[in-house]
Amino acid sequence: MPASTSLEELIEALRGLPGVGPKAAQRMAYHLLQRNRRGADRLARALDSALHNLHHCNRCNNFTEQEICERCLSTRRDPAQLCIVEMPIDLNSMEQTQAYNGLYYVLMGRLSPLDGIGPTELAFGRLIARATDGVVKEVILATNFTNEGEATAHYLSELLHARDIKVSRIARGLPVGGELEFSDAATVAQALRERRDFD
Amino acid sequence: MSGKQRIDEQRAFVLHLYPYSETSLVVDVFSRDHGRLALLARGARRPRSALRGLLMAFQPLELGWFGAGEVKTLAKAEWIGGMPLLGGRCLLLGYYLNELLVKMLPREDPHGVLFDAYSAALHALALGGADAPELRRFEKTLLKELGYGLTLDREAVTGDQIIAQEQYAFQVERGPVRKVGAGDTANISVLHGKTLLDMIADDYTDPQTRMESKMLMRQLIAHHLGGKPLQSRRVFMELQEL
Repeated sequence: MPASTSLEELIEALRGLPGVGPKAAQRMAYHLLQRNRRGADRLARALDSALHNLHHCNRCNNFTEQEICERCLSTRRDPAQLCIVEMPIDLNSMEQTQAYNGLYYVLMGRLSPLDGIGPTELAFGRLIARATDGVVKEVILATNFTNEGEATAHYLSELLHARDIKVSRIARGLPVGGELEFSDAATVAQALRERRDFD
Repeated sequence: MSGKQRIDEQRAFVLHLYPYSETSLVVDVFSRDHGRLALLARGARRPRSALRGLLMAFQPLELGWFGAGEVKTLAKAEWIGGMPLLGGRCLLLGYYLNELLVKMLPREDPHGVLFDAYSAALHALALGGADAPELRRFEKTLLKELGYGLTLDREAVTGDQIIAQEQYAFQVERGPVRKVGAGDTANISVLHGKTLLDMIADDYTDPQTRMESKMLMRQLIAHHLGGKPLQSRRVFMELQEL
C-alpha cells in the first residue's frame, strides 16, 4: 500500500512519542485524519504554541511562558525554602502532597556518569547561583532514591554546604500504612540502617 | 555457549541500565559464573513492576534468565542484601568500577575471580573503607584476569628483583625497566621500586605509593581502553572542581 508522504511523515512523528510503536502510530494518524479532524487541528496548534512559547523559568528552571513562572512570583510561598527535584513530574508529585509551601528548582535530569551526564550537563552553576541568592535559607534535596539521585543529592549537598546553606534530604523508609510483612527486604534493610531516635 | 538454556539463581550485579521501549530495560549485568551479559527485563519500567527499584547497581542480586541470543530474557531477580547501599563519593567510585567492566570485559566470558574482587571492592567501599587500596586491588585483578598481565615483581629486561630505592620506567606491554637515562620513548610512567613492591603487597599506606600506583594504573587502563575516555572519571573531576 503506497502511503502519501504527509501521512508517512505524520506516522513517523507520532512514533516519537513515548510508548508509541508503528501500529499505534498508524492508528492515531488515521483516527486524527478521519474521525477527529478538529482534534488534530487543536493538537497541531497546541504543539506549535507550546514549542514556541515555553522555555525555562529563570528561577526554577521549570517550563513557563514568562521570564519567571507564576509559582516563583507567588507571594504566598516561602522563598526561604528551595526544594530540588529531578524532573517537572517530580515537582507535580511534591505539589500533590500539599505539605510544602516553599519554592522549587528543577534539575531536568540527574548525575549519570556512565551516560556522560555530569555537573556541566545539568548546569549546577545555575542552581548554585539560585540557591545562594541570599533569600534561600534551606535547600531540600528531593532527588530520587536511585543511585543516580543519591549521587546528585550528595554532590549538591557538598556544594551548598560549602556555601553555608542549610541542606536537608527527604526521608526514606517504609511507605505510609506500610507493613513489614509486605515490604521488600531492600527497603526494610535501608529503613533499619537509617533509623532515627524516637523522641 | 550452548543453545537455549535456562540459568537460575545466579549471583550478579547490575552494571548499567538502558531504557528499552516505554516499559522495559536492557540490563548490563556481571554474573558470577557467566560473566557479563545483556538481559531484557520486560515491563521493568512499569509503575508497579516488582523489578522497579530492584534492578539497581551496587546491590548483590540473584538472577535467572533464559534465551539463546545476544540479549537473554530476565526471568527472575531477587535481592540478596547483606551490603549497605553505596552513598556519597563512593557512588562515583562505584560508577568508575562499573564503567571499567562495561568497557573492558567482553560479553559472556566467565570471570569468577574478577567477580569476587568486584564484590569485595563494593563491600569495602560500602562499609566506608579507604578507597585507594580497594580501587588499586580491583584494577590489578582486572588487568590480570583480562589477560593483560601485570609484571610488578621483576625487571622486564634482566629479570632482576625489584629494588625499593631504584627508579623504574614502566613500559606498557613489558613491565618495569630499570631507568638508566633519558631517551626511552616507550616509557609511560616512572616510579620507585618501592611502589612496585608495595603494590604486590597491596600496601598503600605510603602517599608516594598511592600517587605513583594511581598514575600507573590510570595509564595502563587508558592504554587498554584504546583511547576510549572514561565518563565517570570526567564527571568525578568536574565535581571536584566545583
